[in-house]
Amino acid sequence: MSISAPRYVVPPTPRTGRASRLLAIADREFFRHAEWGTLLAVGFAYTATVLATVTTVLFASLAGSVALDAFATVFASPLWPFLILIVTTAAGAGCLAEDVGNGSFTLYRARPVHLVDYLAAKTVACGSWLVIASVGPGLVAVAVTAALGYAEAGLALHAAAAFVATGLLAAVFFTGLALALSSLTDRALYAGVAIFGLVLSLYIGGALVAGLTGNPYVPYGSPIEDLHRVAIGAFQVSGTSGTSPAASAGVLAGAGIALWAFAGWRLTRLEVIAE
Amino acid sequence: MTGVIEAESVTKRYGEVLGLNGFTATFAPGITGLVGPNGAGKSTLFRLLVGQLRADAGSLTVLGHPAWGPGEYRRRIGYCPEQNPLYEWMTGEEFVTILLRVDGLPKADARRQAARAVETVGLTEARHRRLATYSKGMRQRLKLAQSIAHDPELILLDEPLNGVDPVGRAAVTSLLRELQASGRHVVLSSHVLYEVERLTDQIVMIANGRAIAQGDLHRIRDLIDAHPHVIDLEGPDPRALARALGSMDHVVSIEFPGPGRLRLRTRRPDDFYRSLPRIVVEERQEVRSVQSSDDNLDAVFRYLSEGGR
Repeated sequence: MSISAPRYVVPPTPRTGRASRLLAIADREFFRHAEWGTLLAVGFAYTATVLATVTTVLFASLAGSVALDAFATVFASPLWPFLILIVTTAAGAGCLAEDVGNGSFTLYRARPVHLVDYLAAKTVACGSWLVIASVGPGLVAVAVTAALGYAEAGLALHAAAAFVATGLLAAVFFTGLALALSSLTDRALYAGVAIFGLVLSLYIGGALVAGLTGNPYVPYGSPIEDLHRVAIGAFQVSGTSGTSPAASAGVLAGAGIALWAFAGWRLTRLEVIAE
Repeated sequence: MTGVIEAESVTKRYGEVLGLNGFTATFAPGITGLVGPNGAGKSTLFRLLVGQLRADAGSLTVLGHPAWGPGEYRRRIGYCPEQNPLYEWMTGEEFVTILLRVDGLPKADARRQAARAVETVGLTEARHRRLATYSKGMRQRLKLAQSIAHDPELILLDEPLNGVDPVGRAAVTSLLRELQASGRHVVLSSHVLYEVERLTDQIVMIANGRAIAQGDLHRIRDLIDAHPHVIDLEGPDPRALARALGSMDHVVSIEFPGPGRLRLRTRRPDDFYRSLPRIVVEERQEVRSVQSSDDNLDAVFRYLSEGGR
């Protein structure tokens, strides 16, 4: 018979799953962009959307009838896409470029993190800001008008759904755009300039070409124009002509997903860093 | 598995440039120094080991796993890159905590282990300061902290002593010895050879993307016995001294690099040092100084990288 001393072993710390690791990257990225540029743009988006919507709905209410299109005032001005562009640039331009530029990408890759999880985390962080900026203001405006009694519950719900649909499409497209352009460089500034430059040049160029050629398909190439058409469709604005809202929604969603996939492909190629 | 890391004919190209060129080496348990000049391929090898790069040819295994592709085994590896991948707006402790969470540690455990790792590298007082305020040496130590915080089995350190002050250097060296004593394997790269020499006599020498020598220092010393060993002497009459020393059959060349100076190359340095006092006395020569640039690993490296094996 033999007696041996018991062995006491400290059990290893149980590890969290992929979702938890993804969130660790996402929340760092999200809060990193809670800086003045992003917050200012988001604040403007809320102020402009709520003020414009509540004022228009108030006047419509005073005139005796409030229709769904009264909630679409904010989309009539270029301010809304401009604010979304600022949020995209502030929260999205550096989301991949900074990690590549400062080498943090190397540290992430050295850990048990799948590339798709890494990209998903960045998507969640950047997309959250865009959802906050593009969906949130409309919902607040609807809540305020309903609370003040300017719009009945059914109409308010319909308007809320229209804001969610338009805002989500904007978030999908601009998140994809930010990730794709951010994956092409190691400087957030370059990515930011590219985001602004591309969207504005498509808008201005598209308007010029459409005016010169009269081609009805040209406006589909401008994300701002597509968003405008989607809002017109969602809020049932009458008396307008132009591209089909459904087709514009398809273009935005398709382009957003394609750009996201492009960013993922770029990440798989991102292996060369000069020694 | 005989080695912690096994590389067989690993080639990595960056377009036209070869990062690694048929690199073959086995890294044994314990501390191994990866020694080579800048641009030799050390960082490329590390990036291949952590799966950031994919080899174009050859096979590379780390802890028995292929180096490329995702894998949970990566949490058994700690990596300290040469560059400073730091988020300037974070505090030191936040930086390590985030990376531990990415490793899969729950938030509370990540915080606790991060605090411990930061303390291990002597940054406790600076742990709540933003990284933007850290000196180069502090950043280097923080990188080391994140590489050991999750208690890995294998630690890959790319130029870990670069930019660290003498006190920090001693602390890091001592930490690496502790890690080795606790059964961890460490691979550290350096182009400053004496640093490696002080930590381990187990080295892999790399130049132009190839392993030009590997094994313990003594074995590598044996390798260079076939190469001429350089000895510098100073005296008032170097030409007379040259005549006296040139009679030894193992002296292969003699030069006069400057006034009062003599440089010779010998294939048998031990015989030379043994015979020198006798010759000096018999030939009535005066020798003011004898210096060998071959006394450290630097010379070994120079021989092997310039002359090849």
